[in-house]
Amino acid sequence: MSVLQASGVFQPGVIDDIQTKAASGLYRIRGYGTLRERRWATFDDLTFLPCSLTRIPLEGYREKCSTKTVLGTRFAGKPVELDIPVMITGMSWGALSYNAKVALAKGAAAVGSSNTTGDGGMLLAERENSRTLIYEVLPSRYGINIHHMRMADAIELTIGQGAKPGTGGLLLGSKVSDTIARQRDLPIGVDQRSPARHPDFLGPDDMIIKVEELREATDWQVPIFIKMGASRVFDDVKLAAKAKADVIVVDGMEGGTGASPAILQEHTGIPTLAAVCEARAALEDCGLYGEVQLVIAGGIRDGVDAAKAIALGADAVYIGTAALIGLNCNRPIHVEDYHQLGTEPYHCHHCHTGRCPVGITTQDPELMRRLDIEEGAARVSNLLRAMTLEIQMLARACGKSDVHHLEPEDMAALSMEASAICGIPLAGTRRVFGR
Amino acid sequence: MAEIDCGARSTREINAELKQWIQRGETDIVVRHPGARHNLAVAILSPARVRLEGSAGYFCAGLIDGPTIEISGSAGWGLAESMMNGRVVVEGNAGNGAAAAIRGGTVVIHGDAAARLGASMKGGLVIVGGNCGYMAGFMAQKGTLIVCGDAGEAFADSMYATTCFVGGRIADLGTDAVLAEPTAEDIAFVDDALAAWLPPAIRGKRPPAREFRKVVAGRKLWNFDHREWKLWQEAL
Repeated sequence: MSVLQASGVFQPGVIDDIQTKAASGLYRIRGYGTLRERRWATFDDLTFLPCSLTRIPLEGYREKCSTKTVLGTRFAGKPVELDIPVMITGMSWGALSYNAKVALAKGAAAVGSSNTTGDGGMLLAERENSRTLIYEVLPSRYGINIHHMRMADAIELTIGQGAKPGTGGLLLGSKVSDTIARQRDLPIGVDQRSPARHPDFLGPDDMIIKVEELREATDWQVPIFIKMGASRVFDDVKLAAKAKADVIVVDGMEGGTGASPAILQEHTGIPTLAAVCEARAALEDCGLYGEVQLVIAGGIRDGVDAAKAIALGADAVYIGTAALIGLNCNRPIHVEDYHQLGTEPYHCHHCHTGRCPVGITTQDPELMRRLDIEEGAARVSNLLRAMTLEIQMLARACGKSDVHHLEPEDMAALSMEASAICGIPLAGTRRVFGR
Repeated sequence: MAEIDCGARSTREINAELKQWIQRGETDIVVRHPGARHNLAVAILSPARVRLEGSAGYFCAGLIDGPTIEISGSAGWGLAESMMNGRVVVEGNAGNGAAAAIRGGTVVIHGDAAARLGASMKGGLVIVGGNCGYMAGFMAQKGTLIVCGDAGEAFADSMYATTCFVGGRIADLGTDAVLAEPTAEDIAFVDDALAAWLPPAIRGKRPPAREFRKVVAGRKLWNFDHREWKLWQEAL
């Protein structure tokens, strides 16, 4: 009998990576987000402490528990008012198909939530089908249009994103179709690499003036969000607050992307759990916690993750990849097309190819038709409803009549790392590790 | 003609009055003593003529669509950024990122422009009577960039389909920027543009259009190609 022994260093994935690069001469590019087995502390390292004798729960299935969410109360004339604290994050028309963008808009609108444009400008159909639309201003300024900006309910000045903080986006030539090229003022079929820096400002002091420009452009009516990838969160959040952001969005390293160098997805930024804790600490440090709203993004999967993020200090969460999965991403249908990409359902991260088997991350009309807008919208709204019910379930169990009343004291840590990061005692002890 | 005296007023008050005048149908407005305030004449969306008697700060005439904005002094960073259409004329110099991400219209700077002139521009025409700083035309996508004087380092780096013309010296071409032979149409275009937009006193100090050099993208960065490894390694 032979015993097979594999290297613990050069595992099959590493061998494949080396040999692929040996053939191409380029770093590897793919979509989706980090594929690493998560060995860092995550929301799964926390558990809720529901009421028993020390606190009284609300009836879990029926008692009133508010989910109303208001963002932008600091300076905006018209803050964003949402029925639920789960929003759809910015994903570009280009990375996503037309059908996906419109389905997300309709799905979010049906449950009183918001959706966000992306690195490619606004689709008119997206505006028409949104209840609350957030207009992203990105370094590339693809599709930038003052008229569209003035139709939005909030402006999001994006400095970076969690999947690849410090680096711009990618849209490979297979997705730069005639329509997308026209929308972005690019030649058809180029491997489009978005810039990392804004073309008209650089540092935090310039950004203060930039934020004022956006307010002047929108008559000081709509909230200004500043979105960043999670790296030096404590300092960056304070700088964004100094720039007079109404809302700060922090996108953790588990955040998704349509295409990016794989190493950035795996080896840059800090996890979402750590990001929310640093962001809250930063706002508390400058006395603005509660005055500046905080939105957390990056790998939020369900109402449990969302509830934990809220308990740690977020006012709302963004979902991106989860919403796409709701639209059928990685569903075992059209399996032969997964095989053509060299992958399987549940393992697909081939958004960058433009050959999405389920019509979400493609510009191919045939593939896009596989995503029915009405059906997709219904799935997105169902997902948002279910997530909201999950958040309420946990909040009621903790005795809260408003999901925003969840707090760190409602949780215990299940690992020393989570205890140290969140400042929450380890379960079974009264001790916060690292303090 | 309407007049706005900035005096000690805030940017918000000045812009609000500017928009009120335009809403009332006024098509010729003079803004006196702008004092290099930031964000003046932002998001003007009507074809009025606004003249700033003095210098402007950052993002002057940003996000406009249709007006003519004249600045008798100099302008700070981000002049006319993301403009859809219109005309912006600066009689002095302009700071970093002038005409960044413009999608149409014309930006004219009689003096010098600082770094990253026309970065990510997506259309329109940019004319600089003097020199420009480093990385002008960075990742520019469409439109035309004319620099009558000298151009700084990394000129026209990583461009897509913008066409550049330079009357003076080019310190250094950026990654994937290449010189091209101007056509008769190119020369006529530059000649007409300079005649239309620059005062004779400035035009007279610059070389004739036929001596301008043309710079375009070499298109080697447009698609990933391992045979261009050296280029990709050095790409900004």
